[in-house]
Amino acid sequence: MSKSLLVISRQAPWSGPSAREALDIVLAGGAFDLPIGLLFMDDGVFQLAPGQDAKAVQQKDLSANLQALGLFGIDDVFACSHSLAERGLTPPASAQPLDSAAVSQLIERYDQVMTL
Amino acid sequence: MSTLHVVSHSPFTDSRLASCLRVCGAHDAILLCGDGTYGLHNAALQAKGVKVFVLAEDRQARNLPLPEWAGSVDYPGFVQLSIDYDKVNTWL
Repeated sequence: MSKSLLVISRQAPWSGPSAREALDIVLAGGAFDLPIGLLFMDDGVFQLAPGQDAKAVQQKDLSANLQALGLFGIDDVFACSHSLAERGLTPPASAQPLDSAAVSQLIERYDQVMTL
Repeated sequence: MSTLHVVSHSPFTDSRLASCLRVCGAHDAILLCGDGTYGLHNAALQAKGVKVFVLAEDRQARNLPLPEWAGSVDYPGFVQLSIDYDKVNTWL
């Protein structure tokens, strides 16, 4: 049995390569059927905001990658509810909101954790 | 399972330490290195009550006093901690 990995994505979508790289790691893991989870936290929850326009800043759209998570068999997608509330975002349908205690338990559950 | 959280950014310019404290479990520990050592005198860190370690050379370089509730480790100590805890979560 492979070790389970939790990727914590905590950078805003257009601030640098971290958001895309975190998604790429998760999708690559999913392609190999690794037990992998994804948690959006801090500014990372901005990746989940609706109606974003990547073209306006000459970048590639991340929403296609987000939609691919399901296709790659990645169902364990979470969002920190504290981070969402701080930023005035409503919990998206694509990620299960977790409070701080639940995030702590989530980290506990995985064999390895990677924060980007 | 226990986690060693490694924080290397100053809590005064960045939210990593605050977020780490929010989700840190009771059996976890926090290792401060680099500018993360400026977090040694963060009241919330002491109040959290988890084990706190600081990389000695980064603390010495900044001449920060070592609080009695924090442990000081050198690089071999850092390696030992990463073995002692089930996993390491580096707040990159």
